Amino acid sequence: MNLLLEIITPEKVVYKDEVNEVIAPTINGEIAILPNHIGLLTQVNPGELIIKKGTTAQYLAITGGFLEVENNKISILADYAVKAQDIEVARATEAKKRAEKIMSEKATDNELRIAQAEMIKAILELKVATKHKRRAI
Amino acid sequence: MANLLSLKRRIRAAQNVSKTTRAMQMIAISKLKKAQNATLSGRPYVEKLSYVAWNLSSRLDYEHTHEYMKKTDGKNKSLVLVFSPDKGLCGGLVTNLIREIINFDSSHPNSLYITFGKKTESVVANLKKELVASFKFGTTLPSFEMVLPIVKIIDEYFLSQKVSNVKIISTSFLSVFSQKPKITSILPVEFPKEQASISSFTLFEPSPEKLLPPLLRHFLEMTIYQQMLESFASEQGARMVAMQNATDNALEIVQDLKLEYNKGRQEKITNEILDIGGAASAFAYEH
Repeated sequence: MNLLLEIITPEKVVYKDEVNEVIAPTINGEIAILPNHIGLLTQVNPGELIIKKGTTAQYLAITGGFLEVENNKISILADYAVKAQDIEVARATEAKKRAEKIMSEKATDNELRIAQAEMIKAILELKVATKHKRRAI
Repeated sequence: MANLLSLKRRIRAAQNVSKTTRAMQMIAISKLKKAQNATLSGRPYVEKLSYVAWNLSSRLDYEHTHEYMKKTDGKNKSLVLVFSPDKGLCGGLVTNLIREIINFDSSHPNSLYITFGKKTESVVANLKKELVASFKFGTTLPSFEMVLPIVKIIDEYFLSQKVSNVKIISTSFLSVFSQKPKITSILPVEFPKEQASISSFTLFEPSPEKLLPPLLRHFLEMTIYQQMLESFASEQGARMVAMQNATDNALEIVQDLKLEYNKGRQEKITNEILDIGGAASAFAYEH
């Protein structure tokens, strides 16, 4: 029996397919979910999400959100998620620089928080992208 | 002659109007596409989120749930968020919205308001009720950052029990051609009474008490954001339809005026020919 994985962000449904295993970063550490997992609800930390299907593995960069397991169905509600192969390294580097610039200047509280979030997102994307590329070679 | 000139002027005016309205229609179409996408793709997320929150909260005793879910006592005051466009020219959308606000106000006289969009700001001000804050709605797709100051204000009023509930008056996007004003109650968060129908063997990490606050807060933010997107999509849809009608009407007027103008011109020519003919025959008769 396979797991049905669904990753939903406010923008779109990022992923919806049957998979064999999901490894997700949660607030209590990294967890792997195999078929017939007990019902679970937990908070997802920003990090790398690994989806294993057959012999292939797919990597996603994911920012915070919630993960729910129920009857072999995994739903991940993420603020933002992107597949490793879709990450645009140049754009992420650019975003990181921009966030750094805003943070180094005197910004208001709100701007600072947004910049921080952008920064975490960009660093995460870069991390996942470089890691994934190394593995692919 | 003067009549023909003025007709010509009117034709040109109507043509210019049709050009302007057509341009506005095109702008609305392109904005609508984006907004529609954002609105429709946001819906499954919010639905899922509300399901998860409901599931989680149904496992907790009332005492252990978050402040967001607790009914505060007395006063029965409402904090109302109003989402409306900044600009007009979008058919009956604003009028319907204003009617909804006035209806609501007459049945809930103890309300405080936060408005988004210029179009309802003055209306709410005229109600002589407390206007907590007013924001611009903007003419581009609302960004998520707009939600943060609202949630801050809501926290301030709701958690300190200055108001007993929070509602949104906005337009829901049914389709491109149909938008309806609606009142959504967002706080206290209410879920169906019965337990979610899933197995009771569910782990919560770290614990339900700790999970619920961030989940509910996120749910609140997303609900507000979704309403914002719906309002924006509605505005663009309504404007597109209104501008299409305006363009059609303008072109119809151009056609009518052109017919009248041509008739007048033909009449003038006929008269001139008659004149010349009459004069010529009179001349021939004399000789």
